[in-house]
Formats: sequence, structure tokens, C-alpha cells
Amino acid sequence: MKLLDAPINTCCRIERLDGPETECRRLLDLGLTPGEEMAVVQAVPFGDPLVVEVRGMRLALRRREAAWIRVL
Amino acid sequence: MDQSALINSSALTTTSTETRTAEEQAAPPVTPADRVLTVCLAGVPNAGKTALMNGLTGGGFHTANYPGVTVTISRGKSRAELGAEISFVDLPGVHSTVAPTIEEELSCSVIEGRHDSIHPDALIIVVDATQLERHLKFAAFVARQGKPVVVALTMMDLLAKSGQTINSKKLSEALGVAVVPVDGRTGWGVGELMTALRERLTNPFITAAVLAEIPDEPVEAYRRLRAILDASGAVKKSRPLMLAENSLTARIDKVVLHRYAGLPIFFIILGGLFASIFWLAQPFMDFIEWLFKEAGALTLAVLPEGILARFIAEGIIGGVGAVAVFFPQILILFFLMTLLEDSGYLSRGAALVDRPLSALGLHGRSFVPMLSGFACAIPAVLAARTIPSKRERLLTIWIIPLMSCSARLPVYALLLAALLPGAVGKAGLALACIYLASLLTGSLTAGIIGKLFIRKKSDSMLAMEMPLYRRPLIKPTLKITWSRASAYLKRAGAPIIIISSILWMLSNFGLGAQQPKREDGTSAAFITASDLDHSFAAQLGQSLEPVLRPMAVDWRVGVGLISAFAAREVFVSTMAIVFHVADENNEQAQQAGLLDTMREATFANSSQRVFTPSSIIGLMVFFFFSLQCLSTVSVVRAETNSWKMAGLQLLFYTGLGYLLSVAVVQGLRVIGVA
Repeated sequence: MKLLDAPINTCCRIERLDGPETECRRLLDLGLTPGEEMAVVQAVPFGDPLVVEVRGMRLALRRREAAWIRVL
Repeated sequence: MDQSALINSSALTTTSTETRTAEEQAAPPVTPADRVLTVCLAGVPNAGKTALMNGLTGGGFHTANYPGVTVTISRGKSRAELGAEISFVDLPGVHSTVAPTIEEELSCSVIEGRHDSIHPDALIIVVDATQLERHLKFAAFVARQGKPVVVALTMMDLLAKSGQTINSKKLSEALGVAVVPVDGRTGWGVGELMTALRERLTNPFITAAVLAEIPDEPVEAYRRLRAILDASGAVKKSRPLMLAENSLTARIDKVVLHRYAGLPIFFIILGGLFASIFWLAQPFMDFIEWLFKEAGALTLAVLPEGILARFIAEGIIGGVGAVAVFFPQILILFFLMTLLEDSGYLSRGAALVDRPLSALGLHGRSFVPMLSGFACAIPAVLAARTIPSKRERLLTIWIIPLMSCSARLPVYALLLAALLPGAVGKAGLALACIYLASLLTGSLTAGIIGKLFIRKKSDSMLAMEMPLYRRPLIKPTLKITWSRASAYLKRAGAPIIIISSILWMLSNFGLGAQQPKREDGTSAAFITASDLDHSFAAQLGQSLEPVLRPMAVDWRVGVGLISAFAAREVFVSTMAIVFHVADENNEQAQQAGLLDTMREATFANSSQRVFTPSSIIGLMVFFFFSLQCLSTVSVVRAETNSWKMAGLQLLFYTGLGYLLSVAVVQGLRVIGVA
């Protein structure tokens, strides 16, 4: 399922990244690697970007970027 | 047989190569004592590099500008008590080596040994202890380049708060590289870091073997790192869990990023920032203004009367004063921005406005440069470096001159006082409207240019780390503020002083042929000291009269507009000079304030007033748009590395300002406003 469809504040495991190569590589470099646990914590005003947590770090991800992330 | 011989020989070759390498390394392990070693600080953004730089150099670092790539790097000497001098270079933080921003590219070029002028003898890799895996991945990239490295472990206080511990000895053994916990803000561990660094520099046989073997490919790199960390036993709770619901960061974010309260809080914080910039700075600005006025008067009194004394008093001291008067504002802006940055809020602000800004073709990170632009365009243009995509960065730089910078403030104050005499409240309201209008115009311009010239939908990324909230320490913040502000002063100061000196000469010298005949009948030298009426500036102003007429102002205002290119606020002092000098024989006019003089001023050989409501509004429109700041032009040139953008900006905004000013003046006249 897409990370965007995952309920808020629920831990999911990253399955794979499905998006443009360079951009996904930057996300991987940030630590969003398959198998890692992550969660959407909250959405800011306008509903975009999303605040996510991964590897103990808070990250602001645009919906466009979050849409590349498939989780289990 | 043959085969074994082959293997043997290849083995021999390998051995000899290894020996040679070892010899090479062993021969000059340390460079001669007369050469100062260069050590670079590298790390992921928010790792605490600037704080460590502060701890290593005692705050005595300055920001240098490197031509070619023109990105600012801080350089500083090690503190005296840390032993033999080492030159430290603080490299911009690197998120990823893939598709780097210009800042990241600069750091990568230094780390990979591709940079023209910075060749580090060793590197300190700054690693955030709370983000170990991600920061060690970058550390591996640095270690792979083969230069001597040591790891400085920061944010140990935050780690302790989250209930985790790191055994730096075990970590050091596991990674094959010295790991020293430090706190650059208090200086804790800095001595040990220096010892480890010197040990590493004198002993070529220590290699960051394990760290350097970690591959670049992220999935494998993270897997290997976790395996190493797990096996080392250095980290209690090596797998970072999610932040607890009740952690400070989670609780603060719940409020400041709240769906409804988030934006109002954001605007309250920004409003507070602005109010402090203006209100806190005011007494200091008054004092500096007074100081330079007195210094000028003293110079005139002490030095023998003549052109030299006047040049020093008006040209040099007056020119320096024009820059210095804004220093308190810049200082307060930088202080509050550093405070916001250190606390962790600045990246939240960028996240909050990313949606509306990206709709305009900008980026969430454009918000910091736009904000700085309200104090001064120069630091604002520099701040645009953090914007990842080139297109969004250039668009941000393009609209910065529209932000109502503080140099416009004295101009608006004078013109509003002339337009609305006695109505202080109305003038204040009008000023607030001007500020809001400048923000809206900037956004609109970005939107239009984004639509017209950048049709493709933005494909840039946000993916921005939001650091844990942390109480900023005042002393290091002050030191960092000072080094940033003094770098600004150096950068902006020289051009303003040069330009104001030139303008002073233009308004105090003239062509001999243009001068009135002397009493004894002799004519003046080819170029001669002159009064303003017959100066080069006056000639320039008069030759501009046909252009100025549609704006309904005369050549004296033209001289003011030209001199404002040194810095906009110079307009006010020039107006004082031109109108007083012109009425020099009239004692009454001299005694009356500048405002009264301006109100009475008429066009030559006519009773028509120069300053009418329509012409004053026209002037304000001109100042609103026009890029009358050659320092900004020179900074934009340096930052974009071409004259194209800087020149286009100058022509576009000044042309637009003129055309709109003429349109407004003529339009107002048509509907009956004088």
C-alpha cells in the first residue's frame, strides 16, 4: 500500500520506493531504505507537506514525495 | 608452472606497490612546521558544525568568499590554547552526494580533492549522535577519499535525554577511526578532539579501514552500518525508535504545525521578529547617526578648511555612516535568525509555507531569504543558497529586491511625512500597507515569471529534516551572529563607501566651462570644485529632466534618485543637501526643516510646486519597485556568477519603477489629484 494511505501515527515497514531515480536515491540516502520502519506523524496546514519519522528523525515530505513510498 | 609464476609476480607487484604507498605515507607524515595545516569540518546539515567551529576557533572565524563557485565558507584559526596553529574550514552541510545543491557540490569537491584552492590535510567528520546511522553513512563517504579523518560526536546532551548511550571507545574500535564526543557550544571535548587529530596527523598507519569499506549504495550501506553498530555493542538501543508521543519535539510540533493554529503562530513569530528588528534597533540607529554626524562636524572643525576636509567629513565619514546606521538592524536580524535556526523552528517555518510558495514556483526554503529581504537584500541573496533547485533559487533571488528593505524605510518616512503632514497614525498605516504590498507584489511576480518562463511543473524536492527542538545557548549564538554580521559589513561596506565617495565628488566638482566667471575675470580650471548647482551631478540631473518631467519632479529630485543608487537612504541626505544649497541665500528657508523646504520648492522659473500629492506618490511607487542598490546588483552577480541576471534585474525593476511611477502620476492628474 502507499504510505499516503497508511493511517496516521502507525508504524509501517518500507517495502520499496517507486519514483524518479535521482529523487528516490536522495530519499534512500536520507535513510528511507526498504525494511525500515516509518510513520506519518501529522500533516501541516494545507495538508502538505507531511511530517514523517524514520530512523529517529523527523522529516517534512511533500505529498508528491510521500507518494513514491510503498509500505507494508 | 607458468600460472604460479604469474600469480607470484602479481603478488610481488602488489606487495611492492603496498610498500611504496606505505613509504610515501611514512616519509612526510606531517608537513613541515612552517606550514599551517588545513583541517576541514564536514558533515550533514544540522550536525553542529558551526558550533564546533566556534569551539575550535573561539568564535574568531570569518566568512570567506571563493571565486568561481562563489559560495561562502568559514575559515578560522585554532584557539591559542589548543597548541600549534591549525586553519579550520567549515564546509556547508551535505544531505546527499546525488544531485547536490551548489553548497553541497562545493563541499563534495573539497572532500573529493577536486577543489582548486582548499586542500585539507585532514577532515573532522561531525556526526550527530542521535542520527548515528545517517551521519555515519556520510562519514563513510568522507573516509573513502583516503584523507586522515577523525569523528566528532555531537548532540550527546540530546542523546542522553532520549535515554540512549554511546560508548565512543567501542564505536571507535568498531569503525577503525578516532571518535571523540564534543559539545562545541561549551567547548567540552574540544581538547580531546585536537589530541586525536594531531595523533592521526602524525601517525599515517591508522586508517579508517572499516568505515571506508562501507559502500556508497544506500541500501547496502545502511545494512552494513547497522550490522557494525549491533556487533560493536557501542550503542545502547542501536535501533532508533520513533519519537515518544510525549517528547518535547512531538509536543511542540503538535502545536506549531497544527492544522489551524500553525499559520497564525507562524505569523505571530514573524511579526515579533519584525517588530524587534525595528523597535529594538531604533535607539542604536539614532546613536550611530548622531555619532557619525558629530564625527563629521569634528573633522570639519579640526582639519584646515577646504575640499579635503569636506571630502573626509561628507564623502568618507558620511558614506560609512550610511552603512553603519543599518548595522543594528542587521545584527538583530542575524541574532534572531540564528536563534530560530538553533531552536529548530526555522525548518518548521519552511515546511509550513512550502505549499503556497511552491504554487508560486518558489520553495519552502525561499521563506528565509524573503524574510531577510525585509531587512537587507544582500544577506537575503546569500541565504538563497540553501534552495536545492537552481530554478527556484534564481526565482527567489529575482524577487528579493521587491521585499521592502530597511534602506527604503527612511525614504518612505520622509515622503509619507510630506504627503500626510501631521497624520502620524495614517502614515504608520500606509507604511504597513507598503510592506504588505511588497510581499504580495513579490509573490505575484514570482507567480507570473514562474508561469511565463518556467512552464514545466516544479520537480524539486522538499524532503527536509526537522531537527529536534533544542534550547539555544546565548553566548555561542552571539558569537555566530557577530561573525555573520561582520562578514556582511565587509562585503557591503566597501562598494557603498566607494560609490558614495564617487557621488560626493560628482556633486562637488564640475566642468570649468560650466562654472560662473570668477570676480577677477579668470575662468576656472578644466575640472574644479563647484557648488551643487554647477556640479557634474547637477548636469547629469538636468540632462535627465526630460525623463523626470513625466514623473512631475525636477532635476534636484533627479540628483537624489541618482545618489540613491549608492544606497536608497542616501536619497534623504541628498534631498537635504540639494534643497538647502539651492536656497542658501534665503536664511529663513535654511532654518526651516527639510520638509518645509520641500513643501515650498517650486520648479525653476515657475510657481508650480515640485512636491504635490501625485508626485510624492509617484516617487514612492518608484522606490517600491526600483532596484536602486548597486551593492545588491554586485552580490547577485557574484551569486549567480554572471552579469546577465544582475543586469536584467537592474533594468527590469528600475524600468518598471519608472513606468509605473509615470503611469500613477499621470493617472492621478487625470482624475484631478494635483
